[in-house]
Amino acid sequence: MIRKRLRLPIVWVLALTMLFIAGCGAAKKEQLMNASADSSKKKDELILAIGYEPEDGLDPTIGWGRYGSPLFQSTILKRDKDLKIVNDLATGYEVSPDGLTWTVKLRNDVKFSDGHPLTAEDVVYTYETAAKSGSVLDVTVMKSVEALDEHTVRFTLNHPQSTFVSILVSTGIVPKHAHGTDYSKKPIGSGPFQLVQWDVGQQMIVEANEEYYGPKSAFKKLTFLFLKEDAAYAAAKAGEVDMAFVLPNVAKQQIPGMHLVIANSVDNRGILFPYVKAGGKTKEGVPIGNDVTADIAIRKAINIAIDRKKLVDGIFDGFGTPAYSVADGMPWYNPETVVADGDWAQAKQILSEAGWEDVNGDGIREKGSLKAQFTLIYQADDSSRQSLAIAVSDMIRPLGINVKVEGKSWADIAKMMHANAVLFGWGSYDPLEMYNLYSSKTVGLGWYNTGFYSNPVVDDYMEKALQATTEEEALGYWKKAQWDGKTGFSAKGDAPWAWLVNRQHLYLVRDGLEIGQPKIQPHGHGWPITDNIVEWFWKE
Amino acid sequence: MNRRQKTLITTVCAALLLIGVIASALLIGDEWIATNFEIKNEPPSLAHPFGTDWLGRDMLARTVKGLSVSIGVGVIAATASAVIALILGMLAATMGKAVDNAISWLIDLLLGVPHLVALILISFTLGGGLKGVVVGIALTHWPSLARVIRAEVMQLRSAEYVLISRKLGKSRWWIASRHILPHMIPQLLVGFVLLFPHAILHEASISFLGLGLSPHQPAIGIILSESMRYLTSGMWWLAFFPGISLLMIVRAFDILGENLRKLTDPHSAHQ
Repeated sequence: MIRKRLRLPIVWVLALTMLFIAGCGAAKKEQLMNASADSSKKKDELILAIGYEPEDGLDPTIGWGRYGSPLFQSTILKRDKDLKIVNDLATGYEVSPDGLTWTVKLRNDVKFSDGHPLTAEDVVYTYETAAKSGSVLDVTVMKSVEALDEHTVRFTLNHPQSTFVSILVSTGIVPKHAHGTDYSKKPIGSGPFQLVQWDVGQQMIVEANEEYYGPKSAFKKLTFLFLKEDAAYAAAKAGEVDMAFVLPNVAKQQIPGMHLVIANSVDNRGILFPYVKAGGKTKEGVPIGNDVTADIAIRKAINIAIDRKKLVDGIFDGFGTPAYSVADGMPWYNPETVVADGDWAQAKQILSEAGWEDVNGDGIREKGSLKAQFTLIYQADDSSRQSLAIAVSDMIRPLGINVKVEGKSWADIAKMMHANAVLFGWGSYDPLEMYNLYSSKTVGLGWYNTGFYSNPVVDDYMEKALQATTEEEALGYWKKAQWDGKTGFSAKGDAPWAWLVNRQHLYLVRDGLEIGQPKIQPHGHGWPITDNIVEWFWKE
Repeated sequence: MNRRQKTLITTVCAALLLIGVIASALLIGDEWIATNFEIKNEPPSLAHPFGTDWLGRDMLARTVKGLSVSIGVGVIAATASAVIALILGMLAATMGKAVDNAISWLIDLLLGVPHLVALILISFTLGGGLKGVVVGIALTHWPSLARVIRAEVMQLRSAEYVLISRKLGKSRWWIASRHILPHMIPQLLVGFVLLFPHAILHEASISFLGLGLSPHQPAIGIILSESMRYLTSGMWWLAFFPGISLLMIVRAFDILGENLRKLTDPHSAHQ
């Protein structure tokens, strides 16, 4: 009996709760609807669908912002729109002649969004935390960091590394007094904006940081909706957002009241070839090397035969540029490395001269008992990588090289990547990435140099580039490592990669919203575009 | 034309359709689905009745290839499922009360969980791919057939010739293989054919969700899920024709199974 009597109230409570929850849901929806971008009313607000949700949170000490601006935090140095390094928090920095000591002077007028001043202690704390975190942000080169006085910081390195400057560019400074375990969800920083609300899986609302020392943004409030590209496009079409990131297949369709902004990038895609012959194994037992791609003739022929322009037009509807290196257009890029591609006659000649001939008439060349075929793996979820892989395979089959295409998860790729060609994407503002991809010191290290490429001349140039104390000197060596007239890691030299395309990043922007010409974008469609967000404004 | 003739004709038509799809898939080489940027994104035309995709591949060839992959997966998975059903059904009916209870409990359990959920879990645990899908379908689709077989065996067990056999001292195994199994074959065949459309549809849906076959195996679920990205730009033919074809194949198997049942079932065999 008691049970029965109890049952009714429970049902009622449940029913009421349901009603309440449903009511809240409805209210939220209404809010979202009201928030739809009516530009005539809210000139100081923006609704943006330009990026995926940052999965690891907003903590720079574990990698937030390393591909663009951290938005909530500010960095010691930054790159201007010509990618030159300029001061942000710093007023200047000095490198000792041996390249081991970096002394940075900080501005004295910087406050975090909670009003606390930013001092050298916070910088020290940030870098020490980052070093301890062991995250994607690699500061292992740093031996120690210390505060000389309130506004001077000294970094001591284990060995000279000119690219340390890029770490100063990409690491946002966090406050020592307010950096707790939930910091990545509730960041406090000295950047142009501060986080107000983050509805996981839906949206993030930010407001202008009143304490920001730089130029004030024209906007008081920004709402970032976390949509995928096709949903972002649909939202743009419905007039719900002021800006949306879109994929090439819809970019050519006109949406009234919006225009397309095209940002060039080094967000590249390329094929990595195993550079050594098969036989070896890593400590984990992953096989290393591939007899076919170890032959330079195969790698060169593919590099020369691929028609990169055709790939750009065919797969990205023209929204991209042919890629010839990992760093096209970066200050350390060597333009001499461009090869004349789509050249069939020469590609065939290279193969024939190296002894690759189609003896048995099956359309695939052989050399001795070796057949000119290998597997190209790509990340299965990424449709553009899949398209690229398939198109490249079809493109070079008439050459007499059979490329089998397989889509895998990253976990599976890790077990195959030393012995098979892999379609990778890179592209960074840091030349250290180039070092990591081509140095013999990084063979088999994570995703770097998975093909086990090594060339002592290239190594020598790259070490010299790291040891250089001025940027100009370093740039010279970086360029020589790519091609010095005789050798190098570009397609003209050893050709351990066949770079294919740089994707252009596409954004639909409401007419009247001026976002300037974005600088060359790094890897990652979305967040990097916010780099110059303080300069955006509505044109009258 | 009487009803039996009609049934026979539809059966033959359905079978021909299926054989046609499999045969043409075997005849179509890789060069039929080579990329060709000059003809990409073309709507259906005489040269390409199903249109072309974003890489300029002929959708008809892709659809046929995809269907044959799906049929292949369906055959393997449905066979495995039918074998499991047969073994468990027979065990339940002949091995005594405890085994019967255990197997019945298992059947109820699996019937209680939605197929797709169990399938996703199994496939995900096995790391997706062909193996995951086949094992997943095989392990989730047997219960209804097992129940039918169990009931049938129960009935047969009390048939007079079985009782006489037992009295004559024949072993359980002898009775099961000589008397009961031959009776099961029509049931099993029909059950297998009826499992088939389920298997194909579930293969397609799990591949569609990205947990099944990998994208370079152009199964129909993959083709459909890829087309989703292009629907916003108005390329309806990427989803429409493969979808319709999948439905037709599934329906053909359904008709085949139903008709086989009609033809073999003594109640309707002579109509």
